[in-house]
Amino acid sequence: MSEIDDLVAKVASQLGAQVNQSSSSSNTDTDNTSSLPSKELDASDYPLYKKHPDLVKSASGEDLKDITFDNVLNNKIGPKDLRIAPNTLRMQGQIAKNAGRAAIQRNMQRAAELTKIPDARLLEMYGALRPYRSTKQELLDIADELLNKYNAKVCSNWFKEAADNYETRKKLKGDN
Amino acid sequence: MSNTIDEDLLKRIIKQVLVESGVKTTDKPISFKDDKGSATATAGGTPTGTQTAEDRSTLDHAVPEEKLDWFKHVGVAKQGFSQDEVVIAVAPAFAEVLTKNMTGLAHKDILRQLVAGIEEEGLKARIIKVYRTSDVSFCAAEGDKLSGSGIAIGIQSKGTTVIHQKDQDPLSNLELFPQAPVLTLDTYRQIGKNAAQYAKSMSPSPVPTVNDQMARVAYQAISALLHIKETKQVVVGKPAEEIEVNFD
Amino acid sequence: MKRQKRFEMLEKRPIHQDGFVKEWPSEGLVAMMGPNDPKPSIKIENGVVTELDGKKREDFDLIDSYIAEYGIVLDNAEKVMAMDSTKIANMLVDPNVSRKDVIKVTLSLTPAKAEEVISKLNFGEMIMAVQKMRARRTPATQAHVTNVRDNPVLIAADAADAAQRGFPELETTTAVARYAPFNAISLLVGAQTGRPGVLSQCSVEEATELNLGMKGFTAYAETISVYGTDQVFTDGDDTPWSKGFLASCYASRGLKMRFTSGSGSEVMMGYTEGKSMLYLESRCIFITKASGVQGLQNGGVSCIGIPGAVPSGIRSVLGENLLCMMMDIECASGCDQSFSHSDMRRTERMIGQFVAGTDYISSGYSSTPNYDNTFAGSNTDAYDYDDYYIMERDLAVNGGIHPVNEQDIIKIRSKAAHAIQAVFDQLGLPKITDEEVEAATYANSSKDMPDRNMVEDMKAAQELLDRGITAIDIVKALNDSDFKDVAQAVLNLQKQKVCGDFLQTSSIFDKNWNIISAVNNPNDYQGPGTGYRLQNDKDEWERIKDVPFAMDPGHMQF
Repeated sequence: MSEIDDLVAKVASQLGAQVNQSSSSSNTDTDNTSSLPSKELDASDYPLYKKHPDLVKSASGEDLKDITFDNVLNNKIGPKDLRIAPNTLRMQGQIAKNAGRAAIQRNMQRAAELTKIPDARLLEMYGALRPYRSTKQELLDIADELLNKYNAKVCSNWFKEAADNYETRKKLKGDN
Repeated sequence: MSNTIDEDLLKRIIKQVLVESGVKTTDKPISFKDDKGSATATAGGTPTGTQTAEDRSTLDHAVPEEKLDWFKHVGVAKQGFSQDEVVIAVAPAFAEVLTKNMTGLAHKDILRQLVAGIEEEGLKARIIKVYRTSDVSFCAAEGDKLSGSGIAIGIQSKGTTVIHQKDQDPLSNLELFPQAPVLTLDTYRQIGKNAAQYAKSMSPSPVPTVNDQMARVAYQAISALLHIKETKQVVVGKPAEEIEVNFD
Repeated sequence: MKRQKRFEMLEKRPIHQDGFVKEWPSEGLVAMMGPNDPKPSIKIENGVVTELDGKKREDFDLIDSYIAEYGIVLDNAEKVMAMDSTKIANMLVDPNVSRKDVIKVTLSLTPAKAEEVISKLNFGEMIMAVQKMRARRTPATQAHVTNVRDNPVLIAADAADAAQRGFPELETTTAVARYAPFNAISLLVGAQTGRPGVLSQCSVEEATELNLGMKGFTAYAETISVYGTDQVFTDGDDTPWSKGFLASCYASRGLKMRFTSGSGSEVMMGYTEGKSMLYLESRCIFITKASGVQGLQNGGVSCIGIPGAVPSGIRSVLGENLLCMMMDIECASGCDQSFSHSDMRRTERMIGQFVAGTDYISSGYSSTPNYDNTFAGSNTDAYDYDDYYIMERDLAVNGGIHPVNEQDIIKIRSKAAHAIQAVFDQLGLPKITDEEVEAATYANSSKDMPDRNMVEDMKAAQELLDRGITAIDIVKALNDSDFKDVAQAVLNLQKQKVCGDFLQTSSIFDKNWNIISAVNNPNDYQGPGTGYRLQNDKDEWERIKDVPFAMDPGHMQF
């Protein structure tokens, strides 16, 4: 009986993930870099919560001001509306860079690309990058998926770079 | 801070381990004569120096495994298909290079208890020796892939032990016993018993965690030395070997 | 030998139970500047690093390649590498040189050069340098909240207790891994009850930890380990690229994250390549920088016994904290493991970080008796609270926590225990009885708690994940059972994840969810009269002065 419950829960959550994914990809508003402010943000624009709440939307497109207690209780706001949007990460990246931390901006750029990927798939991708898990081709396939399915250019290159380095340093499947 | 362990006992144990690993403690009568020109006297008398250098050299590289009657290699470890087996995956230096865990429990006795715990639940224990890694979780992860039940126990020479299941990430676990100094032979038997219960798809209560917050302080350095020694025995790419044990 | 009686007495002192080892450079048992550490060097051709610390590009291992690609600001590198290391060390200490100007230099160093710079400083100079170089102006500290039975009611009560004492970050872990979801939500509810704005984390296996964060059960993660040699990195089941990707995964879900490293881990795991602890730690810090991760927990951490066993090891550990700050990274500075049998030496362990102040002096301080600390015990625990408060009061130092009143603590523990009871009830988890709530309110340790059915709890904890429960369900559960303020706090935390302000360096929140980070609260120390001063932080100084057990001359009867 519990096995059936598990199965039902699993299928339900997978369906949920797909729904999330399609809703977030249909909503291009939060991932349209042209909707970023024309002037780069810096430390004086921080924190966004206080200084630019209008610029912050959730990944599903909800305005920050609409994420309220009442909306949660009447189910207008759900878990998918509590995810950070790619442009928010890009704005935080600008703030970090202009506060002297360019490396953080690079991380935020990768993160912005990853917001679209469903949780389960993202965990799998991370797993594939761990040592001795993947063949070179498997890593390159994920690089393709990142580029073609999610338009994640920086992360796609990340996987290609890892594939090359794992090949020379013997961290591919079967190298141990 | 509650310190439950008997401190005298602890101290004796540390001394013993230090002696075993070549860090000698002074226990010689003192000479009042060698005040000057003592080069020759010290060469024979002081415990550090040459003695330590020599002992260090055995930690610097792999050493041949000792052949044991009770612990026989019978070829490359094979995939098991029997649901009623639990694999015990021992690390590279186990039994044949190092013979005791951190607190002086003999590897033979530890293994005997693990096996007894498994058999008590009506299951069979299969022992393999891992060579690819000295990491306890990766040992277990290699073991559970070969285990018919998908359950394996990983154990390092210093005594650190883990119960691992096939579908888990290598560094995850069903139960982990990271503090070898608090493990007794009874605990090892319990670990075997619990592993067998997982293999039977039961949900045993975890073996109670004993937390001795000072154990790490006392043992960390010696633990590092034992692990270095174990790591020297790692052979990259070498598959695990099947071990036949005879406790009689 | 006939024993000298004073020597016999000395041997009985607690210090003699600690482990000490002579240096052994070929296996990495040397604190810093080991004979096999490479000579600092860099060669850059057409914007590509072709030599790093004496190694040619074709000989780079994974870590070298990663650092060369992402870890060093190249514009300035050849010039900076030509500078005398003593001169750079001088800049670190000199109050007249601003933090900003130091960072311009240090971001272009190589790992070996950075190690060399640190080696020029004595312990007192390191304290001076840390005071200036930590990223956030206001110092803080972090707590561990655990118990050996993984009792969820007690975790909630202890979390609220710790939050009231002033810890802005709480960390838990499990005695049994499968308990993780319960520990995470108990900590979350307890923390937001104790003081809204406190961040919480649950340290478990990397993929599981991320999963808990995605569900909203945690606010940040810390135990994302990096290592200084390729082989140890592999045994840690990662590579620089997988860890860098994991860092981006966390940020993509709006979760704060820092890496963890620390001297001695490579020795413990058996592959040092014969390099010193500080050199290998320097590589870890550069990997963190290269990954664009805002923070690092370092300073020996769980392997502190190894640097602690060799000469100059504890100096080197403060040095690695400083090196982290030099790279403009948030530093959670260790002091988080049982370190010594000697109380005097335990104080020595933390004195540098304590006096100088770091982003998190301890990471963390055991908010329970060490008996219940499933990180194998911390350097300071709940029984040290009053000593610690007095040290803060004596030296006028903000060590990150302050004295509390017993009645307030009883109230808040009770509220947190009731809140988690309600959440369990609403979510259909195994019942928390009134007896357990009462016990957790007054408990000192898990020995004071009635037993729970652990098998049932573990099963329910796994089902919690499979049922797709998220923080939203916890918000609703709290609201439906009249914990509206706690519900609001849990929701506010989720809202902050949408906003991302706390992804910036050294971020914590105050009780009104105002962010305090290196961006809006940058360390501006430049000698006397500047930087964070406890006496100018009037509210906190009043709290620290006001120890409940001090005599009040105004209210004494003679």
